[in-house]
Amino acid sequence: MNSTIELLAPRYDIAWYPWAVQYFFMIAVSYASLWLAAPALVFGKQSWLPTARLALIACVSTTLVAPVALLADLHQPLRFWHFYAYANTHSWMSIGSVVLPLYLISVLGFAWLAWRPALQARQQAAGLNGLIAKWLSMGSGATPKALVALVGLAALMLSSGIMLYTGAELAIVKARPLWNTIWLPPMLVASGFIAAAGLILVLNRVSRICAPDATRQMLYVLLAFCALAGLIALSWLLDGLNAHVGSVAAALESVRFSPSWRSTALWGGLTGVALFASVVFLLTRSAQRQPALFAWAWLLGLVAIHMGWMFRWVVLMDVQHVARNSAGFHHYGIPAGSSGILGIVGTFGLWLAAILLIELFIPWRQAQQGSQLPGNDQAASRAPLTANKGAPSHG
Amino acid sequence: MDAVRRSLLGQLARLSAGAALVPLSSLAPASLAQAGINQQPARREGDPSKRYGMLIDLRQCIGCQACTVSCHIENAAPLGQFRTTVSQYEVHHQESGELATFMLPRLCNHCENPPCVPVCPVEATYQQQDGIVVVDSDRCVGCAYCVNACPYDARFINERTQTADKCTFCAHRLEAGLLPACVESCVGGARIIGDMRNPDSQISRLINEHRDALMVLQPEKNTLPQVFYLGMDERFTTRPVAEPVALEVLAPHGQEMGYEFHH
Repeated sequence: MNSTIELLAPRYDIAWYPWAVQYFFMIAVSYASLWLAAPALVFGKQSWLPTARLALIACVSTTLVAPVALLADLHQPLRFWHFYAYANTHSWMSIGSVVLPLYLISVLGFAWLAWRPALQARQQAAGLNGLIAKWLSMGSGATPKALVALVGLAALMLSSGIMLYTGAELAIVKARPLWNTIWLPPMLVASGFIAAAGLILVLNRVSRICAPDATRQMLYVLLAFCALAGLIALSWLLDGLNAHVGSVAAALESVRFSPSWRSTALWGGLTGVALFASVVFLLTRSAQRQPALFAWAWLLGLVAIHMGWMFRWVVLMDVQHVARNSAGFHHYGIPAGSSGILGIVGTFGLWLAAILLIELFIPWRQAQQGSQLPGNDQAASRAPLTANKGAPSHG
Repeated sequence: MDAVRRSLLGQLARLSAGAALVPLSSLAPASLAQAGINQQPARREGDPSKRYGMLIDLRQCIGCQACTVSCHIENAAPLGQFRTTVSQYEVHHQESGELATFMLPRLCNHCENPPCVPVCPVEATYQQQDGIVVVDSDRCVGCAYCVNACPYDARFINERTQTADKCTFCAHRLEAGLLPACVESCVGGARIIGDMRNPDSQISRLINEHRDALMVLQPEKNTLPQVFYLGMDERFTTRPVAEPVALEVLAPHGQEMGYEFHH
């Protein structure tokens, strides 16, 4: 038996910065919330309308910010046009660069159609709001439900392309065994839905809409996707438990030799189980007790967002610190600048700005699946589920 | 368990080294079929009648890092970033107490199946018909996908150019009829570069002579590396089970001050 000491090795820097985490997080919340907006706004299920309105603002705001984070992760952002000048079919990233703008356009088109009736209703409003509503609603023609559904379907289809390419982009990288597993793409989707459901729970609270239906539906979504994520994690583990190489072997090795990986694994597992157990607890309470308990569901929403974000942080950042050719683990301190903390905070700041601008100028609380009688659609402006009482008034 | 795993990996290493040599004997056409997702795109530029490769005779390497330094100067890499470097290990035989130093020069393997090429979203990195993998730094968008896709850590984002950078076998010197800087400066003559399609080249003769003893790095990744190691210990073909010795010493504000040793 020998023991070996590594005397000299270069330090290998990480290649993808926290911008990548922000992109993967934002785009996952975007596609997942699009699917949560779909029951009401694409398939016409009225009981999902309060959820859909919250989901749509979550979707649009994250869809706007995600590409900015992606662009920032390029070391040559101004060369982004090379993606289109030299597009090819052998790189998943190149395929993604075609799908992403189409997805962005379809989401904006879908949201515009869903918000248009309410914008039209606001055309006569005084001040800037009326002006913007007049300009954004583009006339007073009808917004056919079928068109909303059609554009929604196109967006859903393109969102599947995003799910596929973001997952495949990582899963094909053999050089990073932890990524190189078929179970990573579905896990990214499942944790994306967990984060989106969490965000909708939080938005439901901070917008003071506090729709109980939305809370209940999102708790069920959390329940389903936590269970799914658990199943995927278990399948991944069993799939590779006996293998000497591959994703699971690399993970077990990391957990065995690195205290920080041990605590990450423990934290992730415990948080997941705690989230699942809390959701089960809330959903199994008696009908009398539920309203009081549901008022606190937004806290679970924060935990769910944390799960979705942390999973991406671990997958994208921590995995890059697992040395491929040198001994031990690379140490990484998050730098303060734009390739570190500033990038993370900046992306969230931009997202906050996007959501506040929508809140200021778009009557997103009245989103609906088209309208045949534009301008006279009183039902839209008096929607009972928007709980106007106490809502902030922006004209 | 470890012994079983190592011997398995060792066999894999030999098998794959053999497989890596197959294209040479069959002189496979350099350009492959039109690529599907994550498949190799057609090779372009370079001399299709040649296939460059490198053989590193570890028995001759003394770990002087002359290659590291000459490459650094020739290719003007930023401080702390390397196209080639020599990893050094101290191996302690626990029963006999013997100590040995093991040197492992690392560089781009100019693989026959390079995982860094198909991932490039703008085809900025490509394989020449002579097998050399290069980066068009005017086209590179700096997405760093190739850096993550290379299992050998042979690529980095050049701090100055903000594009992907890597060993090119000093293609600019080869074109001018010169040897790569690392080969030129190697004190022991451990690095041998040449055209593996020419049966009379020194590298072809050495490959023929030592075919069974040659090993490549991480053969299980199926990248078919074209940098062959002679005098290699199979335990070092994958990430060695070793203890890191150097710790970075950082100033309170995170600036690197130097290194400190455990032992």
